[in-house]
Amino acid sequence: MRTRTREKYQSANKLAHSKATALLRYVALVAALLFSLAPVYWMLTISLKTEVEQFASPPPWFVFTPTLEHYYDAFVARGFGDYLLTSAIVAVASTACALIIGTLAAYALARFELPWRLNRRLSLWILSTRMFPAIVTAVPLFLMMRDLRLLNTRASLIIVYTGFNLPFVVWMMRGFFADLPRDLEEAALVDGDSRLGALVRVVLPLVTPGLAATAVFCLIVSWNEFLFALVLTQTDAAMTLPVGIAGRVTQYEIKWGVMSAAASVAIIPILVFALSVQKYLVRGLSMGAVKG
Amino acid sequence: MGIEFRNVNKTYGDNCVVDDLSLTIDDGEFIVLLGPSGCGKTTTLRMLAGLESVTSGDISIDGERVNDVPTQHRDLAMVFQSYALYPHMTIAENIGYPLRVRKLDKPERAARVQRVAAMLEIETLLDRKPRQLSGGERQRVALARAIVREPRAYLMDEPLSNLDARLRVQMRGELKRLQHQLRTTTIYVTHDQAEAMTLASRVAVMKKGRLQQFDAPMNIYNHPVNRFVAEFVGSPSMNFIEGSQLTIGIRPEHIQVLSQPQDGAIPATVYVTEQMGNETFVFLTVGTNRLIARAPADFRAADESRVWITISKDKTHFFDPVSGEKRATDNTDWIRILSVSSAA
Repeated sequence: MRTRTREKYQSANKLAHSKATALLRYVALVAALLFSLAPVYWMLTISLKTEVEQFASPPPWFVFTPTLEHYYDAFVARGFGDYLLTSAIVAVASTACALIIGTLAAYALARFELPWRLNRRLSLWILSTRMFPAIVTAVPLFLMMRDLRLLNTRASLIIVYTGFNLPFVVWMMRGFFADLPRDLEEAALVDGDSRLGALVRVVLPLVTPGLAATAVFCLIVSWNEFLFALVLTQTDAAMTLPVGIAGRVTQYEIKWGVMSAAASVAIIPILVFALSVQKYLVRGLSMGAVKG
Repeated sequence: MGIEFRNVNKTYGDNCVVDDLSLTIDDGEFIVLLGPSGCGKTTTLRMLAGLESVTSGDISIDGERVNDVPTQHRDLAMVFQSYALYPHMTIAENIGYPLRVRKLDKPERAARVQRVAAMLEIETLLDRKPRQLSGGERQRVALARAIVREPRAYLMDEPLSNLDARLRVQMRGELKRLQHQLRTTTIYVTHDQAEAMTLASRVAVMKKGRLQQFDAPMNIYNHPVNRFVAEFVGSPSMNFIEGSQLTIGIRPEHIQVLSQPQDGAIPATVYVTEQMGNETFVFLTVGTNRLIARAPADFRAADESRVWITISKDKTHFFDPVSGEKRATDNTDWIRILSVSSAA
């Protein structure tokens, strides 16, 4: 009898304990969400408020008269639509280039035995291009682009972002390829396929989650990049959204409403893409962790 | 014609994996490369497939030197130990893959896939994915992918080793039957001597990268060229009696166990008996030697009981105790060795 009461007591204790941990878990989750989403909420509300309400004190947190004037201002009156287009073209093109070149390089590094231990040396050398701060290359790249007459072009940004993303693609994809059993490619070769055919028809379909995860990261980096875009473009012809938004901080005024409206729109494409590849994303990021 | 290895070597750094291998395989033969793990048999197969480079020597197929021909142009088909089915393709797509890369049109492809699927009784699986199949079914799909076209040879790398015992024996029979129907040169790698004995037209026994013997299974069994081959082929293994001048090899079925003394019989003690159902293995102690004998199914003897053995004298083998090479010897000699060791 006594032991049974004790068991009961213990299980009740356990239950209370697990309830407490569950509660704690939710508290932590809410705190993390608040921390990361509060600025986004602030930005969204600013973009919808009139200038008077933007500067009201205390600020109207939830109740205000929404207006789309800043969106009109940004995308119709000013050239933010063009900036958006430039950002999209540059991000997509540089991601595509980095994926194609990087995947081929990663496959070679993962599968072919190069002389002089080049597999390892090349990989490290590729990684080393990311080891110094970006600002170090800003001036040389500016001079190179000037001599190539590529200043103020989208091409300059595509080239620079491709180079920027390549090391990341190579290292990510090299890991995914290394985890794949060689038998499958060898079977494809014996079945009469070429190396490239085996890569396209057998290997790449199997690393799609990895490709998707890598693509998302490349897109985010290219989409948000500010420094090189600022250095290499000065005119509207090739201005990206981040530079365009920052340009509204002027000597005389700061256009909070326009900036927030543009920034709010800037979130959407990456959000949509990340959601659409979400099922691959989770698998891609955990790939190799568990042999499946 | 056929396949020829001429003085082929394969080294990784200082490690010699295949050592001066010369082998001529005739058209339509079923060759088994047999040996323990690490003997170079899989490397040999992979060199033939073009998946490993050849360090020195020549490999030719139908008289054409293929050393520098890339895998995809060698026109071979291979069944991998892991089956290597493409996980993202259906079974039909898996089997049709070799035809797809050869740009056969779709109806022709479908017809041929259907034909081999019927041959291997896997028609009902064609729309499934490999992960939905059992081991035996995957094995058939791998086989179907190999035979869907007519390659110059089939290469098989331990294709049955991932199956359970019953299925393995069944597939073994089907493989043999299939090869008789197709008459395509087949090179088959295994460490299982029973597979080698049952499947091969000729067996190549390898050890540490060197070819030991290349002959018909029954010749390998009855006339092994050295102690390694004698020991590796046959189950239970051949008995060896070590003398200072000579090692004597006797197969278990050539030792007759008697419960009564008989003229010329040697006394022995029963260590243990194993009843297999159709026969009985008798483990014996003769002097300092341990021997295994095959006895009829109804043979019974208690542990430590005294029995007598006779040995079929014309079926014994003699090996050099140092090199292990086969030696021809006068019959009187070894009886003395055996009686000396049994007296001890």
